[in-house]
Amino acid sequence: MDDSAPSRYITLVSSDDFEFVVLRDAAMISPMIKSMLERRGPAGMSLLEAQTGRCAFPEITGQVLEKVVEYFHYWYKNRNREDVPDMDIPVELCLELLMAADYLQLDSKS
Amino acid sequence: MGARQHHTAAAAGSVDDFEYNWEKLQSAIRDIHLKNTGSLTFEQLYRHGYKIVLLKMPERLYDNVKRFEESWFQEQVIPPIFEVISKNLVSVTLGSVPGTSVVDRRAIGEKFLKVIREAWEQHEMSMNMIADILMYLDRGWSQDQSRPGIFAATIGLFRDHILRTGIQADGNPPCTVFGILNATIIDHINMEREGDAIDKALLRSCIGMLESLHKTDEELEDEKLYITDFEPEYLQKSRQFYKAECDRLLRESDASTWLRHTQRRLDEEAARCLTTISPITSDSIAKVLEEELIQSHLEEFMSLDGSGVRAMIDNDRTTDLAVLYQLVCRVDPDREALRKAMSNRIIEQGLEIEKVLKNTDFSAPQTADEGPAADGGDKPKPKTLNASAQQTAAALRWVDDVLNLKDRFDNLWSNCFSEDLILQTAITKSFAEFINTFDRSSEFLSLFIDDNLKRGIKDKTEAEIDVVLEKAITLLRFISDKDKFVLYYQKHLARRLIQQKSERQDVEAEMISRMKRELGNTFTSKFEGMFKDMNISKDETEAYSKYVRGLGASDEKRIELSINVLGGNNWPKEIMGRQTGLGGQERTDAAYPREIKALQESFYEFYCKSHQGRMLNWVGTLGTADIRCVFPKIQGKSSGPLSRERRYELNVTTYGMIILLLFNDLPEGEWLAFDEIQAKTNIPQPDLINSLTSLSVIKATRVLLKEPPSKAIVKPTDKFTFNREFVSKAIKIKMPSVNAANKVENEEERKETDEKTNETRKYIVDAAIVRIMKSRKELVHSELITNVVQQLASQFKPEINLIKSRIEDLIGREYLERADAIDGKPAYRYVA
Repeated sequence: MDDSAPSRYITLVSSDDFEFVVLRDAAMISPMIKSMLERRGPAGMSLLEAQTGRCAFPEITGQVLEKVVEYFHYWYKNRNREDVPDMDIPVELCLELLMAADYLQLDSKS
Repeated sequence: MGARQHHTAAAAGSVDDFEYNWEKLQSAIRDIHLKNTGSLTFEQLYRHGYKIVLLKMPERLYDNVKRFEESWFQEQVIPPIFEVISKNLVSVTLGSVPGTSVVDRRAIGEKFLKVIREAWEQHEMSMNMIADILMYLDRGWSQDQSRPGIFAATIGLFRDHILRTGIQADGNPPCTVFGILNATIIDHINMEREGDAIDKALLRSCIGMLESLHKTDEELEDEKLYITDFEPEYLQKSRQFYKAECDRLLRESDASTWLRHTQRRLDEEAARCLTTISPITSDSIAKVLEEELIQSHLEEFMSLDGSGVRAMIDNDRTTDLAVLYQLVCRVDPDREALRKAMSNRIIEQGLEIEKVLKNTDFSAPQTADEGPAADGGDKPKPKTLNASAQQTAAALRWVDDVLNLKDRFDNLWSNCFSEDLILQTAITKSFAEFINTFDRSSEFLSLFIDDNLKRGIKDKTEAEIDVVLEKAITLLRFISDKDKFVLYYQKHLARRLIQQKSERQDVEAEMISRMKRELGNTFTSKFEGMFKDMNISKDETEAYSKYVRGLGASDEKRIELSINVLGGNNWPKEIMGRQTGLGGQERTDAAYPREIKALQESFYEFYCKSHQGRMLNWVGTLGTADIRCVFPKIQGKSSGPLSRERRYELNVTTYGMIILLLFNDLPEGEWLAFDEIQAKTNIPQPDLINSLTSLSVIKATRVLLKEPPSKAIVKPTDKFTFNREFVSKAIKIKMPSVNAANKVENEEERKETDEKTNETRKYIVDAAIVRIMKSRKELVHSELITNVVQQLASQFKPEINLIKSRIEDLIGREYLERADAIDGKPAYRYVA
């Protein structure tokens, strides 16, 4: 699985075992996920996630991860556009979303 | 929800939590170093770092990682490196290499470099991965503390703990791994410069390391180790290498080898910056080469006998010159050395032309067919003219030689010197210099044009004629005494016009218009005046003959008159009558025969109708007359041309006609003495000598017999009689006019011309001074001189002494007066 060209999709797994199949390029806006999937050196040294394309987040719930994934695709779809409408964020998820965004380093410029 | 748990945990047993997370991380880091990463989960490791940051103990983590790496170096990395640092390697570094061959040196060097490369690649890869895992550390802590990121801090450890480690080999002064590394790389590059093959990729990797590492963990762009530590040493060692190489070349090779070698080295070093070391060194290493290989011995190479600039120019080594030019341009924006060398060569060759010319004149004054065959002996010329004809040929040859030289340098200029403006100026200056030191250049150039307009252009196409004209203009540009040239050109042009020797009127006009374009209206005004006179005269002649016909008196004996009225100002004085010099001696009119006198009066009367109040002087030396002459049958001859009466049409000068008419009335067998002829004709003596010589000396046209007979020029003691036995194959005979051809002046004539020029210059300088002073009112001496020189530059280069004496003279005549000194310098004031 890891020798051929990597799949265009990866799977994100939540603490409550929800699985989200995401476009790899979309998920890579998170510098943390990007590093996670990297292979380095002439030997292609990599950690488990990079080999399997399956990234588990044992501390993020499915409800939050769903919104994160929605954001990935929202961002990816609109990456070359201007005047994009805001994404709908449910107020009750705000705090947890903020913490997840911090964990995934979604505010840093990459 | 998870997050809230962490916060509460942080408050409780934080040290235990730290140790728990650090243990996990430490073991993962070890696995990473051992390349044993297959079962590690990024998310887990990242979460350990994240937790430690949330525990508010990031500094401890940061320091722990560094400490781990330091001990890793001590245990795992340094020992194999020290193993390959042999005693020999250290001595290579220190510059003393007794007992090691190049092959050995290369082998131990490569071994060392490979170990370093391996260690570096390991370290770099591990640090990248570790830094990724600990990403949250930078995000949550290092950035806020303005501490170097974890990657910078750990990658820099390689510099501090490997490269800067000292080595104390027995007996040798201390050095560092870094020192050995630099020396080994440079040693390898020197091997390549000497022609050995080296592992470029290996060097490139090591250089890459130096480009990745910085002097401090702040990672400032201009503090890469490559820039701070490697490059200076590399440049210095390269300088030593090339200095030695250049010295060797100067000792053992010629300029051509040096040029090629230098160029090759420049290419090599440029390529090396792309393949082996870093491109940022390109400019600096090029500069080292420029200084050591080009600049340091440039003049020595250029002046080498047999291969220096002189030899390159003389042997048309255009490739060498082109390379030389490119090299010189790199080191000297003024091209000083090249400029000098070239100027010297031009002036040398210019003087050489003059010398050859002189030698030709002296060695073969009589044999006419020496070098300049252009003047070929196809026309049987009178022998008395031979020496001067040869001189004329010499003049033509001088012009040709100079132009050839100019062509050669122009070619070099466009082919080798990229049409460099600085060099063009230098070429022009050098040509002007030697041309103006040669005192006959003005005269020779005018003669060159004269010869071409008379015969040279006869069979040439328009394009070829254009080339000739352009050549003349090219040369004219160089001449600084333009007033002298005007004088000569005026004289030569006058002869061409009056004797109708000019091959083509349109080419004459073109020549003048080109001069005008080049030098302005004033320069050519006299020439144009001469043309105008000729044209008006043609109309005048026609009008007159119509007028005469209108008078009705159709006389059998009427004489056809063709007239040229020459305005006195435009034409040279010696042509207008033999009044050379400035002596105002009264002009004497020759005693014209009655018929001619009547004709002259009739024309004058006609002329005055349209031009009132003008005087006409008749110039006997310039006019010609066609006369029909009958030679009688000689008694006692029954065959051959002498047995018949012979009629010839003679074309003679006006004076010649007057003289011949005298013999009309002379009884057979009687002689006329020179004095008698002079008394009867009133022709000035020099003109009379010329006229009689042309009638009595040259065999083909000897209509008078001279006593004593000789081939020498007529003397005032000679006697003459009519040559009844004159025979000629041609019916129309043109009497040659002695001294009428344009040729080089003899010494005396030139002295006269020079005097005349100097005399004229006085007035011109006077005028210039007055003009300047009138507008400036008061002026410092030196400034006045500068202004005068500037104003007259287009005409001639006045001598400073001349200007000074003219100023004195003007003060004497009260045009100027001495003023109070301005700033302590003497000054003059204009007197209105």
